[in-house]
Amino acid sequence: MLDLAFTAFFLFLLAAGFKRPFIWVLFYLYVDIVQPQVISWGVLSRLPVSLIAFGAAFFGWLVMDRKDDVRFTLRQGLLLMLLAWCGYTTLAAAYPIDAADKWSWVWKALLFAIFLPFTLRTRLRIEAVALVMVLAASALVIDGGIKTAAGGGGYGSLRIFVDSNNGLFEGSIISCVAIAIIPIVLWLARHGTVFPTDWRVWGFACALIFACALIPVGTQARTGLVCLAILCALYLRTAKHRFLIAGGMALAMVIAVPFLPKAFLDRMNTIENHKSDQSAGTRVAMWKWTWEYAKANPMGGGFTAYQSAKVTYDTMEEKTTGSTTIVTSSEVEEVGRAYHSSYFEMLGEQGYPGTAIWLALQFTGLLQMEIIRRRWRKRTGADEQWQAPLAVALQLSHVVYMIGSIFVGIAFQPFILMLIGLQCGLWSYLKRIEAPAPSAARASRQMKVVTARSGTPAQPA
Amino acid sequence: MVDYFALAISHGLLAIAVWRLLARADLDEDHPQPRPAPRKGVGVHGESGGDA
Repeated sequence: MLDLAFTAFFLFLLAAGFKRPFIWVLFYLYVDIVQPQVISWGVLSRLPVSLIAFGAAFFGWLVMDRKDDVRFTLRQGLLLMLLAWCGYTTLAAAYPIDAADKWSWVWKALLFAIFLPFTLRTRLRIEAVALVMVLAASALVIDGGIKTAAGGGGYGSLRIFVDSNNGLFEGSIISCVAIAIIPIVLWLARHGTVFPTDWRVWGFACALIFACALIPVGTQARTGLVCLAILCALYLRTAKHRFLIAGGMALAMVIAVPFLPKAFLDRMNTIENHKSDQSAGTRVAMWKWTWEYAKANPMGGGFTAYQSAKVTYDTMEEKTTGSTTIVTSSEVEEVGRAYHSSYFEMLGEQGYPGTAIWLALQFTGLLQMEIIRRRWRKRTGADEQWQAPLAVALQLSHVVYMIGSIFVGIAFQPFILMLIGLQCGLWSYLKRIEAPAPSAARASRQMKVVTARSGTPAQPA
Repeated sequence: MVDYFALAISHGLLAIAVWRLLARADLDEDHPQPRPAPRKGVGVHGESGGDA
């Protein structure tokens, strides 16, 4: 039954693209986020669905879409440089077979992020991409949220659809992404036109945000909790009724704490007391190792270079009985642990050049969204109200991602690369409507000349 | 059961969204030209174009 439903939905999206080829771009976003081929055991699991969707999206744009006003932006250039650099490090990788395995999905995610802005030619397309990203991620978030509320979950044991540790199905990654989409959910609820704002839209948005906030509880990923705290602080910075919202947040926390599972509270306590925690100990030791590794290999070791890591560290445990506290120290040795941080993942795998390009990509994103916010926030036109809030939403999502990235290796997470593609698209679109591209401007001038010759006053552009 | 519910609600909304997008002329052009109604005896020349 599930397989049949998935296949029907797959065919529906494929067919819809023949009427409006842009739907194929949305189709790829959906396939890459929900991964129906992983959840389903039927026909879809045997088909290269991701490749089909990617091919359809590219073909639709190449053959059926307008390309006269296409621009290539600075950040797409950075993405292209990153793609080329990753290709080079894969060829020179310390572990060529495993590196090729990671490269097989990284290149696709990077290429799509470069391609996506070309297709974002209208306001509705930008909204549609944001909407499909949120709704596709909502499948995972609603599932995880309900299971958490019903008492399921635990570190590494919250099962979202499948027992998989890949992509968005991994606990720390979905925690970070779930919190990162909250600002976009709010923007869609306020400014959406596909689902215009009303009580049903706000009802769903609030329920979804609640589910997003539950994901860090369900996965017991501390990253998510840190991301949520940062997001709340950032909202308070710009909110109009900040005292009211701060009071509401405090009240929600007071009500929520007694209902949180003890395992979750115990684990969150280790944020402060990380010395007793092995997972946190590994992180710090791996970061030290990577720092030294980058000094020895400034060009990076290629994907999965962490396999050569060998780290030892001490964990301390305190036991208090009466007035006596016994501190037990034990040495732990680990081999080939993951980086547990996107920044160190970049440093170890892509070396200094790759890290520099990646950091430039992140910070130019924050900067461009800030420029859009300042340029558009004081405009008063009826169709000039959505731009600044979207830039703020995308900026907040990006900050959440960059904070989460400190603790999780998600440097090439496709969902985040889509978010970057959306930022590039918004930047490029707003530039275009403010100053048309040379070919479009030429066409516009020619039209005005023709109109003037025919003796009718030209309409304002 | 929870899996089915989560998939049904998200995919239902996705399907409605795509359905609505199919009917929206502004998906491909921000200010789509209204389709000229066929009128007998009146040429298209001399008519002013909509906003560009």
